[in-house]
Amino acid sequence: MHNPYRPIPVEITKIVTEVDTNDIKTFRLSFVNKEDEKNFKYIPGQFAELSIFGKGESPIGIASSPTQPGYIEFTVQKAGVLTSALHDLEEGTQIGIRGPLGNSWPIDYLEGKNIVIVGGGFAFTTLRSLVNYMLYEDNRSRFGNITVVYGARTPGLLIYKNELAAWEERDDIDMYVTVDKGDETWAGREGFVPTVCKEVGPSSENAVTVICGPPIMIRFTLPVFFDLGFSKENIITSLEMKMKCGIGKCGRCNVGEKYICKDGPVFSLAELDKLTPEY
Amino acid sequence: MKDIENRLKQEAKRLLESGEAEVVLAYGRGYDEKHPMPYAAKAVSDVDNIVFDEYCTFNMTRYLTEYPLGTKIAIAVKSCDSRTLIVLMQEEKVKREDIVILGIPYRDMIDSKTGKAIDNSTACNLPNPVLYDILLGDEVTERDDGSPYDVLKELEEMELDVRWEFWSKEFSKCIRCYACRKACPMCYCDPCFIDQSQPRWADKSPSLESNLMFHLTRFYHLAGRCIDCGECSRACPVDIPLHLFHKKVSKECEEMFDQVSGMSLDDKQVMVDFKMEDSDEILL
Amino acid sequence: MLKKIGLEKLNEFVSALIEKGTLFAPVKGDAGVDFQEIKNAGDVTLDFYNTLQSPKCVFFPQTDDMVRYRLKKETTDIEEISLDFEPRIAFGIRPCDVKSFEIMDKLFTRGGIVDPYWESRRKNTTIMGYAFDAVDPADFYGAFGIHAADTTGSDVFMVKGEKNLLLKAITEKGEKLLSSVDTLEDALEEDRKYFEERLKKGAELETRTLSLEGVAGKLRDMFGSPYWEKVAAPCLNCGVCTFVCPTCHCFDIQDETLFGEGTRRKIWDSCMFTDFTLEASGHNPRTQKSQRLRQRVNHKFSYYVTNFEVTSCVGCGRCTRSCPVNIDILTVVEEAVESV
Repeated sequence: MHNPYRPIPVEITKIVTEVDTNDIKTFRLSFVNKEDEKNFKYIPGQFAELSIFGKGESPIGIASSPTQPGYIEFTVQKAGVLTSALHDLEEGTQIGIRGPLGNSWPIDYLEGKNIVIVGGGFAFTTLRSLVNYMLYEDNRSRFGNITVVYGARTPGLLIYKNELAAWEERDDIDMYVTVDKGDETWAGREGFVPTVCKEVGPSSENAVTVICGPPIMIRFTLPVFFDLGFSKENIITSLEMKMKCGIGKCGRCNVGEKYICKDGPVFSLAELDKLTPEY
Repeated sequence: MKDIENRLKQEAKRLLESGEAEVVLAYGRGYDEKHPMPYAAKAVSDVDNIVFDEYCTFNMTRYLTEYPLGTKIAIAVKSCDSRTLIVLMQEEKVKREDIVILGIPYRDMIDSKTGKAIDNSTACNLPNPVLYDILLGDEVTERDDGSPYDVLKELEEMELDVRWEFWSKEFSKCIRCYACRKACPMCYCDPCFIDQSQPRWADKSPSLESNLMFHLTRFYHLAGRCIDCGECSRACPVDIPLHLFHKKVSKECEEMFDQVSGMSLDDKQVMVDFKMEDSDEILL
Repeated sequence: MLKKIGLEKLNEFVSALIEKGTLFAPVKGDAGVDFQEIKNAGDVTLDFYNTLQSPKCVFFPQTDDMVRYRLKKETTDIEEISLDFEPRIAFGIRPCDVKSFEIMDKLFTRGGIVDPYWESRRKNTTIMGYAFDAVDPADFYGAFGIHAADTTGSDVFMVKGEKNLLLKAITEKGEKLLSSVDTLEDALEEDRKYFEERLKKGAELETRTLSLEGVAGKLRDMFGSPYWEKVAAPCLNCGVCTFVCPTCHCFDIQDETLFGEGTRRKIWDSCMFTDFTLEASGHNPRTQKSQRLRQRVNHKFSYYVTNFEVTSCVGCGRCTRSCPVNIDILTVVEEAVESV
């Protein structure tokens, strides 16, 4: 019988410290058995349980794109038992992974539309997966204009800096990277994400926005998109809840009758409105 | 008993009406006559729901720490319950001036789960509340029931290995539902050490070792504070006689420091007070 | 097939069952009767009204080991715990508890994702249901159309008479088990009559009841009602109700290690506990006890109904009887629905 609780062995092949506070790192993982890699078919927006025996498991959004074969990446903030232990590991260590889990960004729905990606701080991981997926040469023509508004508190807290710079160079994506407050090295934009969104003012015509960030950012960004004429069906986000099993059995990540691990984590605002307000 | 119920209702009504109390913590109707429930009356119209009978065993002081400090609360207390109040006041969890104490002079309560009378083998069972503003009836006369520590005799006479076996068997039964902790009016730590994940002090799965870690730590936390209301044992679904351990710790505290917990507002708790003449036995 | 055995020979019969597989049966303990794995036939009792805890432990033990590991300097040795369980027999299961297994099946095989720990034990188990003939004031299984001698879901159904234990095979699995035990005799016509009578009597016993019509929707509608604060006021937020419940299935996954050796295990958890939904970030969507009580009630009487078209409660009355402050889930639901 297939055991969904069994972690698949993976090896950490690369670790990148993303921020100057050193508490966010990206882990590149390669499957120990090629067979497992074939079976691990994921879509941007999904997550997986990272596992270290003796420390437990933690659900983390997948930060790489399925268009990048050979590995999967997770950007992890040091917070609980598992993530702290993970941060202490070195390249070459073997850990476990269970997944892919949850629904995903609604790729089919996004197809043929203009996409506005809005991210704040550390919550840019599965958005990065989506951006890379859409920018992939075989996929790019399936989507309309891609606009990215991404902000962090300080320049040192922006994640995926090299990638952001590479995207800036391209002419098939409009990048608006901002920080709340710059420093002497920062030549870019200053300002909060909601303000920048307002300035950029993306058209809601045939457009969907995908938003991930701290609750406060989301709270102030939503009105901007309502004003721009985005309907609740066309505002999409991803929820976070405490999870354990990741497969809808252990009972803790429910919002009303929906289980975030299984029915989510991705919901449109229209769908969220139908949920009980407890998340 | 009906008189006590009537007086309780009367006082509750008066206190809520006059605004002297925002809430009256007492007892209310449950799903049948043998199963009353803790009840918080917040309006005069709630007062009719108040009951008192021999099954109203709940130590209502357990709910006090759920209210913000400064809330004016009237509370029905029986003997041991009033001693809890004193401890909570010593610990500044509630203030004397915020509490109207409705003393209940009644001693022959019945545990609705077992149908057995609660006596001094499972609780302190003093006849009357130690501290009150209004006594809802005549004082109950003293009677010689012996010491609340008499019940320990059998345990104390056990050989060490037999006693270990006794407690090992009892603690192996624990399913870690934490009803004891949650029923205890003194267990107000938030978070409780056992719920912490960094570090995790004991396994979450029940085993003799992890259960002992939980219970022994809890016993220590209650040394010199437990007032022997017996709520822990009554709440326990698997009948672990937790009160016996608490009684033993209380007895030792009394013998070493010559103080009974929760008897006087002027006392300082033995575990937070150091006197030159204190017994050294605690160091052993 | 109806068989019988003299009550004086019960031990012999139980011993025969132990030969057939891992036997779980009611055993008298300090606090009451509970299901345990049986090693000695003499431990089994059929003199009980209800067990303290439910028999969910047969398929879903409080601690369910998944992987044993040994942490070494560079690597970790892993040993998966086998899912090839011995055949099991669940003996003396009340009809409402039998129903609970069916309810839990839906969750554990939800959406095609099968929990192998539940499923492999479940498939391997022969259920021997047991009729009882009294009603406790806390019971309300009648609300779910279950009765005291309901044979639905059992493989074998047992009725205890004055002298004999009567056993009827309900399924093929049950028939196979009964015909493999030599100690059993064929029942006589009078036994057959008695058996049928007891089934009839069981169906006539009345418990408290509740109309389930529209309950799920009403509970959902009153999610934000102040009712929950009122009704949760006495709640201690201990986990007794959820632990004794036959349909509470929430669990945690923990790695428990001692000196480098440990086990990854599923462990019962409770939505009544504050840390149940506490995130590593410190955020907790259910900080109030009223939210947690509402979650327990709504999960059973609303969310589960939406997801699986069945109420996740069998009216066994255990939560009510075990509650240190006498909170009664039937009253809670009844009053909730009335308050809409």
